[in-house]
Amino acid sequence: MYDIKPLEEEWKRYKKKKMKPWYSLIFSILIITTLALSFLNYKDVIFSKLENNSSVSINKPIPTTVLLDKALTTLEVKKEIIEKSIKDNNIELETDVSSIIDDPMRYEHPNAKKVSIKITEPIKKPVIVEKPRKKMHLNIIETTSASAYRDVAKRFADTADTDDSLFLARTYYDQGNNKKAIYWALETNKVNPNIEESWLIFAKAKARSGHKDEAIRILSSYIKRSNSFEAKALLKKFKK
Amino acid sequence: MKNRYEAAKNVFIDSVDIDDYIELNSSVTAYKQLEHSMDKPLKMILLFGRPGTGKSILLNRITEKLKHQKEIHYFDTPAINEKEFFHKLFKVLTKKDLPKNTEVNFSALVDFCKNLRGKREIIILLDEAQMYGPEMMEKIRLLSDTRVVKFIVSLHKTDDEDLIAKEHFQSRIWEIIELKNATKDDQALYIHKKLLKQNLYEIANSIKEKNMKMIYTFTRGNFRECNKLLFTIFEICEYYDKNEPSKINYENIPKKIIEMSAIKLGYVDV
Repeated sequence: MYDIKPLEEEWKRYKKKKMKPWYSLIFSILIITTLALSFLNYKDVIFSKLENNSSVSINKPIPTTVLLDKALTTLEVKKEIIEKSIKDNNIELETDVSSIIDDPMRYEHPNAKKVSIKITEPIKKPVIVEKPRKKMHLNIIETTSASAYRDVAKRFADTADTDDSLFLARTYYDQGNNKKAIYWALETNKVNPNIEESWLIFAKAKARSGHKDEAIRILSSYIKRSNSFEAKALLKKFKK
Repeated sequence: MKNRYEAAKNVFIDSVDIDDYIELNSSVTAYKQLEHSMDKPLKMILLFGRPGTGKSILLNRITEKLKHQKEIHYFDTPAINEKEFFHKLFKVLTKKDLPKNTEVNFSALVDFCKNLRGKREIIILLDEAQMYGPEMMEKIRLLSDTRVVKFIVSLHKTDDEDLIAKEHFQSRIWEIIELKNATKDDQALYIHKKLLKQNLYEIANSIKEKNMKMIYTFTRGNFRECNKLLFTIFEICEYYDKNEPSKINYENIPKKIIEMSAIKLGYVDV
């Protein structure tokens, strides 16, 4: 047996060739195992990505962000409106507007300011219990035109409303027109002789026009009838 | 002292020695079948099988067994030519040598055989019959027609030989006995019996079942291939035993050595 060494070399080659499929199989199994393990490790990430993608496509018609923005915008607008209206009515604002938001399902933005309304004082409305025409009268006050006084005088002629005549008496007295003030005070007293202001304006206008004695006589006669404190004080003033 | 593997190696030297004959289930069946056929008034019997299936050793065995009971002659090597074949046949029939410078007259030989009818029954075993030409096979057939000479023709089973069998024996052969390769169990038994016959019990025991499976895979149950492989295995073992004892396991024939033997014999393509 002289060829044992070459035979051993041949056998080694044969062994390698024989084991080749096994090595390939083991290698394949290792690769498959590695891939499987990798897949298992990153499965959550992959699935979450897939789910995100799919949810975006599904929820596209109603995007959440749009809803958020819309809600905030509405909130701000409402707040402005509320603040404005409260300012106009002299209402003090503290916080929390949520109660006045119409939609209860609306998304509440985490940064949204909680606004609540606390009314510290009741709203003071002008206590003017007047007839609708008085409103017209007030409007006239704002004007200084002579035609406005003529309109009031004309209306007095129609209605005999002492408010109109008293107004004219007071205004003319304030303007220093004693003659017209005396005239409209007398007109008022003719309609209603119990209006104190009308008597006082008459007396003051007389006194200022130089008829102080007549003024004292009128006041004395009125004091006798009404025992008015203001009339007494004015009389006292005239007598000094 | 003789190396143990050297003795084992020599057990598997391929030969048709009657001492090498191993009785296996398959070989016993073939033997009985052939013996039974020879008792029948048949003119020709075809023993058929691939090389290494034990045809020759079976013919040898039956010759040895029956030579004292029947007039049986074993032509182990085919005659080179017709003249040589008839010289041998003349000697068998007449029990005399052919005089020098003479030739056998075939017609006279046929007549001689016809005269022997009822007196003698001669059995001639023709091994490697595929070596005989068609013309000679035709003459063999004519001789068998005399019913004095019975021919047992052993053929290799190849495509060409099948053709010969068809052409020359299809109508004349009365019985065909086919020998096949051994089964895995028969082959293992064959190896064990061979070694035990030479008192090599330890070596026989060192060839385990998985070794037997490997040997069968390489040899496919062919006795000749098996002998060759076992011879080579023990040759390598012998080398390691003498030169590198660390490489050999005395309890178990290493798989590596069986594979090396298969590589050496070309059973494995490296």
